[in-house]
Amino acid sequence: MDKIEQNDGTNRDELIMQQQREIEKEISDSTPLVSEQLPITCLNAEYLGDEVFTSKIQDLAGKYKFLRRTRPDGNCFFRAFAYAYLEHLISNKDEYLRFKDLAEKSKDKLVQLGFPSFTLEDFHDTFMEVVKRVDPASGSTDQVCDELHKVFNEQGYSDYVVVYLRLLTSGKLQEEADFYQHFIEGNFTIEEFRHQEVEPMYKESDHIHIIALCTALGVGVRVEYMDRGDTHVKAHDFPEGSTPKVFLIYRPGHYDILYPN
Amino acid sequence: MANMAVSRIKREFKEVMRSEEIVQCSIKIELINDSWTELRGEIAGPPDTPYEGGKFVLEIKVPETYPFNPPKVRFITKIWHPNISSVTGAICLDILKDNWAAAMTLRTVLLSLQALLAAAEPDDPQDAVVAYQYKDKYQLFLMTAKHWTNIYAGGPHKFTECDSKIQRLKDMGIDEHDARAVLSKENWDLEKATENLFS
Repeated sequence: MDKIEQNDGTNRDELIMQQQREIEKEISDSTPLVSEQLPITCLNAEYLGDEVFTSKIQDLAGKYKFLRRTRPDGNCFFRAFAYAYLEHLISNKDEYLRFKDLAEKSKDKLVQLGFPSFTLEDFHDTFMEVVKRVDPASGSTDQVCDELHKVFNEQGYSDYVVVYLRLLTSGKLQEEADFYQHFIEGNFTIEEFRHQEVEPMYKESDHIHIIALCTALGVGVRVEYMDRGDTHVKAHDFPEGSTPKVFLIYRPGHYDILYPN
Repeated sequence: MANMAVSRIKREFKEVMRSEEIVQCSIKIELINDSWTELRGEIAGPPDTPYEGGKFVLEIKVPETYPFNPPKVRFITKIWHPNISSVTGAICLDILKDNWAAAMTLRTVLLSLQALLAAAEPDDPQDAVVAYQYKDKYQLFLMTAKHWTNIYAGGPHKFTECDSKIQRLKDMGIDEHDARAVLSKENWDLEKATENLFS
């Protein structure tokens, strides 16, 4: 009994959280939430002298013309997805209208699934505000693209969009729990997984997040995987067999946006 | 950014004020300053727990990055509970750390804390001493928790035996709270407590 020390003076969780926040701040000070379009070859600088990656970057440069970086804060998949898809909608008016309608109706669906309407409304309103700000009818393509870029680099709006997509993802997992349960590793129930790995900000996304979100919104995504294996980047479409509208590159732990030739 | 945190808190404040729990006096929330960054919460000890009948005051600090980061919450009222520091009031609760989600609110936090009082998790302790007592000497834990609730939170159960042991240490010049803390830690063994204090 005497041996047990009170661990209160230094609350270790607090210290860990504080350190985490400092790291986050350092990242946020040095990287924008979403960057300008960059040449694919900008990746070379990160892998100087690395033959596997250098050849993969070359492979990638043959298929894609640009890359847009997102801040590596654990929200990168959601932010990259939202940016790339809304950008795609700017030049696809009919699909914009389809999406706007679906987004509009999504709130009631989430409320039905049991999400608290109080906070949901807040996120949904802001999400819709962003969707409306990038209406293709609101200006020339260039003007709307500038507006999209601006709004995604405003932390408040940008993060509200991320939260809403997280809630949509969580809702889909709940709605089709029997199906998604098979994808979950370890002893998590769908319920626990949603609360611990999907809804909280900064939690990284895995295949299951991507599949659930793409299915919920009816949007195909192609992810180019760039890791140590093989010599070529490997493409994977979500959901399988769909026509991709959003193109992302995945490097271990991080997603950025790609622009096909 | 800061504005988003403030407008969200303002809306939440109204939510709590309108909630059923406030009608039943089970949770309460008050403003501390005009900047909406610091609030004072209060929860009633849940029935059928050693905290029943007590009112527990909480310090709530809202970070600029709210609601993307959790509010910082600690107990101001002293409490004897495995997941709450008996010294600082720091709380070990997943939703106040990694599992916080922006869709949660101050109301959910207060209700979760109430739930924590009703269901301690001694295997994930904040206060190792309390957790040890909880697991090893549960009856003593109950008495200590009720005693602290009585003294600090206005709970109904008086323990004259505890009071008289504390008085003995006070007579030796020990501060009342220090005496209570040491006795609680030493499972109310006056001899061990004295030894601990004077060695």
